Amino acid sequence: MSRHGWREVRRQLRESGAAGMVAVVLVAVTSAWGGMLWSVHRWVDMRLLDRSLATSVIAVARGAREAAKLQTELRTAYPALTPALLAPREVQEQLASWFPDLGQALLTLTPESFPYVLHIAVEPPQEPALSAWFAARPEVTLVESSRAWQRKLADTVARLTLAGTLLAGTLLVGCTLVVLLVIRLLVLAHADEIAIMRLIGAHEGEIRRPYLICGTILGFVGGAAGAGIMLAFGGLLRVAVSGFEPVTWVAAALPFVGAAATLVGAALGLAALPAEP
Amino acid sequence: MIQLEKVSKSYNNRPALRDISFTAERGEFVYLTGPSGAGKSTLLRLLYRAEMPDSGRLVVSGFELATLRRSQVAEFRRRLGIVFQDFKLLRRRTVGENITFVASLLNLPEREQQRRAYTVLRQMGIPHRISAFPDELSGGEQQRVAIARALVLQPDLILADEPTGNLDAERSHELLELLKTINYQGTTVLVATHDRALIAAHPARTLFLDHGALVKDGWGSGP
Repeated sequence: MSRHGWREVRRQLRESGAAGMVAVVLVAVTSAWGGMLWSVHRWVDMRLLDRSLATSVIAVARGAREAAKLQTELRTAYPALTPALLAPREVQEQLASWFPDLGQALLTLTPESFPYVLHIAVEPPQEPALSAWFAARPEVTLVESSRAWQRKLADTVARLTLAGTLLAGTLLVGCTLVVLLVIRLLVLAHADEIAIMRLIGAHEGEIRRPYLICGTILGFVGGAAGAGIMLAFGGLLRVAVSGFEPVTWVAAALPFVGAAATLVGAALGLAALPAEP
Repeated sequence: MIQLEKVSKSYNNRPALRDISFTAERGEFVYLTGPSGAGKSTLLRLLYRAEMPDSGRLVVSGFELATLRRSQVAEFRRRLGIVFQDFKLLRRRTVGENITFVASLLNLPEREQQRRAYTVLRQMGIPHRISAFPDELSGGEQQRVAIARALVLQPDLILADEPTGNLDAERSHELLELLKTINYQGTTVLVATHDRALIAAHPARTLFLDHGALVKDGWGSGP
């Protein structure tokens, strides 16, 4: 593009003023939100929903006799598994160690307040059959598995991700609309000038390009700011949450996503230009 | 250079031009005159393809305008120099930028753009105004800038729509002298004006329009 074209771009950026700033801020917020959403989703996926993680099945027995019977029958049905039978006292101590704040209170309770528990570590593919086997036993009052909890978590995460993505999409459409309006206002403000440029032989491309570049720059700058915000928040979260890492390639892509969204807005805004006869 | 055959144009069923036919050869100086509303500006707008005729054939600088595609319009207009009554300068650009912008459309190198701008401004006698903005110039100076802009692409044809409309008599005569000089150098010039005194003072071939019809094609300012 010629020197005149770049000068025109600078002029459009200057004249976009407060509306242009709104567009940049909106793109920044959208980008930061989208980037954080992606990073958090990835962390949950890798840390909490990893299907290769060890799987445990817990079965609560009605009493000592039932627990022993279950253990025996389990060894017959699944000889390869090694169930650990936890007596109420062991369950009590285990819970107290997991929840130190409640430890004292838990330890003051009588051991009879806690059940006999069978704990079995299984390969992930064995989990459904084993859970079903326990669920069918009259000696068992409750069956839980880590995989079932993972499924519940995955469902919740999927719902939250969908809501977050919808919000990001809505914000992105908002960015496109704001830039559309910014470019439309610029085009209308310069309608006379554009008409003159046409009359003296400027191609449509030469007329439209500065507006498109202006819109794209607004999105790119907003996206870059969003990437900065995302990395800053990611840094804070990394301190607070074990294993959390902001996804750097997403941060690198944000300026381009912002630029693409606002380029679309600028192109739509240019539709306000009247066509040659 | 210009060839019109039975060109008609109407707005809301009111005819603005009726069966206009004429030819202007390369290097000619032609006035287009007539009372207000005669169709001078409409004819000029057809000639630089700001509008399309309802019927008839227009050939300007070798371009058949009725069949010209939109993508070719800019290319066509770069062969023309157009001068307007209200100058139509880009207000936010300096005189130099107004001219180099046009030169930049040909993708000329920066230095060549500057050189051409300076040359045409010197030709118009205002090289010292190169850094001024249009609003800082007098009407006469603005019209000279407009002509300089029209000349910078070294067009074969200059179309001037009431170029003296915003100038006093003295500046109008100066401007006509300038256009005559440009014409002597080989450029075809078509000037639309309703100023008969000006035509009388600088006689040339005159097309007289009245109520959208070409009523006279000859020398002299009257019908």
